[in-house]
Amino acid sequence: MTQLRIALAQIAPQLGMFDENLALHHELISEARAKGAGLVVFPELGLTGYLLQDLASEVAIRLDDPRLATLAAETDGLSVVVSFVEESGDHRLFIAAALLEDGRIRHVHRKLFLPTYGLFDERRFFAAGDLLRATPSRLGVGLGLAVCEDFWHVSVPQLLALDGAQMLINVSSSPGRDLAATNEVGLGTATSWRTIMRTYAQLTTSFVVFCNRVGIDESISFWGGSEVIAPTGEPLFSAPFFEEGLFTVDVSLADVRRERVALPLLRDERPELAVREMARIVAERAGLHPDTTAEDGADPGLDVAPGDPIERPIGFQPGARR
Amino acid sequence: MTAVPSVTDTGGLFELPAELAIDTDIARRVIGQFIRGQLRQAGFDKAVLGLSGGIDSALVAYLTAEAIGAGKLLCVMMPYRASSPASRADAEEVVRRLGSASEVVDISPTVDAFFADDPDATPLRRGNFMARQRMAVLYDRSVTWGGLVVGTGNKTESLIGYTTLFGDSACAFNPIGDLYKSQVRQIAAAMGVPEQIITKAPSADLWPGQTDESEAGFSYPVLDRLLFWRIDKRRSIDELVEMGFDGALVERVDRMVATSEFKRQVPPIAKLGPRTAGVDYLYPRRRPGSARG
Repeated sequence: MTQLRIALAQIAPQLGMFDENLALHHELISEARAKGAGLVVFPELGLTGYLLQDLASEVAIRLDDPRLATLAAETDGLSVVVSFVEESGDHRLFIAAALLEDGRIRHVHRKLFLPTYGLFDERRFFAAGDLLRATPSRLGVGLGLAVCEDFWHVSVPQLLALDGAQMLINVSSSPGRDLAATNEVGLGTATSWRTIMRTYAQLTTSFVVFCNRVGIDESISFWGGSEVIAPTGEPLFSAPFFEEGLFTVDVSLADVRRERVALPLLRDERPELAVREMARIVAERAGLHPDTTAEDGADPGLDVAPGDPIERPIGFQPGARR
Repeated sequence: MTAVPSVTDTGGLFELPAELAIDTDIARRVIGQFIRGQLRQAGFDKAVLGLSGGIDSALVAYLTAEAIGAGKLLCVMMPYRASSPASRADAEEVVRRLGSASEVVDISPTVDAFFADDPDATPLRRGNFMARQRMAVLYDRSVTWGGLVVGTGNKTESLIGYTTLFGDSACAFNPIGDLYKSQVRQIAAAMGVPEQIITKAPSADLWPGQTDESEAGFSYPVLDRLLFWRIDKRRSIDELVEMGFDGALVERVDRMVATSEFKRQVPPIAKLGPRTAGVDYLYPRRRPGSARG
């Protein structure tokens, strides 16, 4: 399969209304299938809405939830990415994205990075995932799922690409903010997202598929602007801002091979170098290894030297000095 | 150091500091979506607001009419006998251009009755009472009109505390509360709000000749820039002085912002039980079951 029609479901989920959102998913999956799509992508927490706060536990589902199974049942010969609050067996709540294919759940990605700053408060309500894996797919290319903030950490697209992903799929509930007229597209959030997505596509020589929701939850407006970007970094499609819709984009999956032969960045990656240096940095932060960038006199694991050791509180045990 | 920016051309209507210029098309779309979403989630399709003749309420009337249609908007004019007739005429011009429903409620009898035995009441007390009287009228009309009360306060006045608690700041939602005065003017100009409303000196209209800028002692463009760099862009006082702002003014505005913090927040509840609203009982205002039946 080298030609693929991608359907981006840029929807406005209703906050906390699982059944209504589920019905919308069913409707749009049918519509996408009728339009000949092979991959349908829904936004982050499309089944629940974003700003859930204490509602999170009330709309959470387990992976064996029959309502999720009804969606999987719609995926004969189809790949669909949906997102919801997943409750684990030990009752942790995750923001999850699931790849549904041929009637089953093929892969689940739990959001790794939970923004808890500025207007975000996710860590208060959710647990962070611990696994990052690319997944094979019926589409014949490896897929890498990520949820919103996961893409604001450069390791995520790189690891997914090294793990075999040729198409990175980011599902988002990104609130639009910063309307300064100097922004390229009139919206600061959109400008930064577009910059990083083009960069990731180019650096990982992979397709980037971005599905962002629209609508409002409380004070915040989600800007949409869903996109598909080619492995060259060239945007193939940009959905309108703030408008609901099911947008289809045709891509040629052979573009990945072409770009990777022409620009063999992934071939030349040095994962062993990254692992070595990461291990050193982790050891330095943990005080297990001398820190090359710390001030003279700083204790292990601390990068700043205390002003006057005599002033230290009673009981403080100074560690070994370099 | 950040260079002192130039001023964006606004055709001479008003002064718009360059760093405050926004994309007004996007602002209108976000605000329109916000207004429709707030109403839908509450189970309403109509809105009511107090129209003073000033730019803030005029802009909110335009934005609300654009979002839901003028036929779903009730503009209530609530003059006091000392209010400027020019303000009233400007408010009527807005209603005429939009074609919205409107009503005039004279608050003089209630206000005068309340202060009849208290002739020494200060202008501040009288002004606050009038603002709360207008709030009471709007919430009554919210019932008779069947619409939510739309807030008309801007970010500048909210940050410096130039509002009456439970008065003009009371509303169901506020579409322009994150816009500085200069940005209110920018959108108003883009939407075709009558020019005389954009160009006249902002006033609380509590007594003849009163203007915000003479009362506060600074101009909106300067104040807006100061607040933008201090709050949105997290610049220190020293950095603002380096940029050319007057140090005494920066410190004075800092104090105004700090002393009015309480006006921008929900009153604290003494934490006693296992779950307390706003502390560890945290639900969206609008959630399943929250819309009126």
